[in-house]
Amino acid sequence: MILDKRSKIIGQGITGSEGSVATAWIQKYGTKVLAGVTPGKGGQVSNDIPIFNSVAEVVQKFGSIDASYLYVPPLFVKKAAFEALDAGIKLLLIVTEKVPVKDSSLIYAKAEEKKAKVIGPSSVGLICPRLNLKLGSIGGATPERVFVPGNIAVVSKSGGMTSEIGLLLKNAGLGISWAVGIGGDRIIGTDFADFLIEMEKDEETRSSVVFGELGGTYEERLADMVKKGIIKKPVTAFIGGEFTQKLPSQVQFGHAGAIIEGDRGKPDYKRKVLKEAGVKVANDFDEIVELVKDSING
Amino acid sequence: MILYEFEGKKLLSEFGIPIPKSQLLNSPGQPLEIAPPLVLKAQVLSGKRADAGGIVKVTQGIIPDLIRDLFKKTINGEKVEKVLAEELVAFEEEFYISLSYDTNYRTSILTISEKGGTGVEEREVKIYPINPLNIQDSLGAIKSSIPYDLLLKIAQIFFEQDCLLLEINPLVELKNGKFIVLDAKIKLDDDAKNRHEAWNYPTRGVPEYSPTQRELKAKEIDQGDYRGVAGSTYFDFDGDIAILASGGGASLTALDALLKVGGKPANYTEYGGNPPREKVEKLTQIVLSKDYLHGLWVVGAVANFTDVYETLSGFLEALRKITPKPKFPIVIRRGGPRDKEAFEMLRQVSDFDLHLFGQETTITQSAKVMVELTNKYAQSNKT
Repeated sequence: MILDKRSKIIGQGITGSEGSVATAWIQKYGTKVLAGVTPGKGGQVSNDIPIFNSVAEVVQKFGSIDASYLYVPPLFVKKAAFEALDAGIKLLLIVTEKVPVKDSSLIYAKAEEKKAKVIGPSSVGLICPRLNLKLGSIGGATPERVFVPGNIAVVSKSGGMTSEIGLLLKNAGLGISWAVGIGGDRIIGTDFADFLIEMEKDEETRSSVVFGELGGTYEERLADMVKKGIIKKPVTAFIGGEFTQKLPSQVQFGHAGAIIEGDRGKPDYKRKVLKEAGVKVANDFDEIVELVKDSING
Repeated sequence: MILYEFEGKKLLSEFGIPIPKSQLLNSPGQPLEIAPPLVLKAQVLSGKRADAGGIVKVTQGIIPDLIRDLFKKTINGEKVEKVLAEELVAFEEEFYISLSYDTNYRTSILTISEKGGTGVEEREVKIYPINPLNIQDSLGAIKSSIPYDLLLKIAQIFFEQDCLLLEINPLVELKNGKFIVLDAKIKLDDDAKNRHEAWNYPTRGVPEYSPTQRELKAKEIDQGDYRGVAGSTYFDFDGDIAILASGGGASLTALDALLKVGGKPANYTEYGGNPPREKVEKLTQIVLSKDYLHGLWVVGAVANFTDVYETLSGFLEALRKITPKPKFPIVIRRGGPRDKEAFEMLRQVSDFDLHLFGQETTITQSAKVMVELTNKYAQSNKT
């Protein structure tokens, strides 16, 4: 999953208003974007990047592509993702929010078939400060404001909180190996465990911080993987939305997957299973720093 | 969006799934056009209606009185505004069947219990993951007394209609071997609305809860405007600190932090995804329309893409329009694109009690400041 400086990266839907702004920021950070794909806009140039009508045309011109990031409108994401997967791209990062669950589910099933990885939908992006590499909107125009190089991996369901964790660590003299927003949707391509299993192989990463919240079972799966020893590097977690347990269930809080259904999805339960598995669980957000420091010094 | 039983059944019947004969009553006085024996069913979103007295079987007796009684009821926190009068169906077997998306399997799943009806939670259920790329094969592997063709039809409706949940409980088998749906709960994926012209259901709340006017009004901000979100989730609480939060994760973190330091929120809401300033303006007006406020917390993380200048401009425009003019402390904690310009603009504001914090102050720290200032203000305004 992890990219390097030589990775061949393209963007889909990067001629649109959000995609073109984010792409300029990606380039400014030092990440090279080889080509863009927007059906009907082939032959144009956007942010000095040549635009093609299809991913297949890009592959024809440049050979195999390592990764694509998507700023395609919600109802067109499925078609664009299928196109990229069919063209043999093994890593997709979908920034688009409000993708219908059916489409996310189809994309995940198709990626499994193709042995490819998908991050998102609703991913704020993926960043590696050491390599000045980023896909997506993560860190905005000035990622260095919050993300500095270091040894901590950050995995978060929330885009804003990905930056917030980066900032908290930076202010404490710590830095980031990789940070990723996995999105808060119901069906996501990469969950906490998937990403941290990759980080087991990453030499720079010594410890990790995850931001979870109410809803779903991805935090529970992380606990399971830690318990089983598949994830060995220390994990510190913060789980948002304790207050929602006192409110009517079936309410979606912000993210599409942030919903308590019956007994499932309660933050207290997530905290409990994470603790039992050996994850350090922060009681308040600022406490993350102390726990991370313990995890690398202890 | 969760559909009422009558809406869900209508949808199923449009796709050829049999449902009982019925009549929807919008008021207690509406003349009944179907004859007993029948069952009167209060139309509320919450489950377990039967236990709460929301389902009445009528074989004979004074039906208008029974209908009137139902309309007077509040069932699990929801007022009864519609009643479905339905022919009583005699059946042999009952089943539970549902399709939904499950984070454990990271795909859609089909859940079947060969014994349906109320109390299904305690019965043995079988779960089958359904590969959305190959529905036929996934269903072919299922052993059930429910015919394959019916399973396929139900699954096709689930996928074609972008359902998040399609639950039929019970599905019953009649003496003649035919199957019919006696109750259905359908939840549609709001994110797929733009590819379903037929979805024109009115705004509604959530099960077991009657939404406040403010909550319904906040929900309307996003309707017909796809740029960002603002107010899609709004909740009224009885505290004195108004909340205007941005970001799904940050809003949760902020509320948890505020409660931990003893603050009492007046509401929960959030905006995000770089909404235009008008949306933030509308949401601010709703947030500040409450009485007895002693503080306002405008709180968010360091944004990645949301234009902080634009969104806080919307906030400021709304603030200037509020009457009476808010005198209580307003704590703002925010960072992200164009935050320098935003704070410059806010520093020029001298007619409100603004307290500005950027990324050097954490959300938790600003929660403490908010609570201290609120308490001080509440103290000095006591009479």
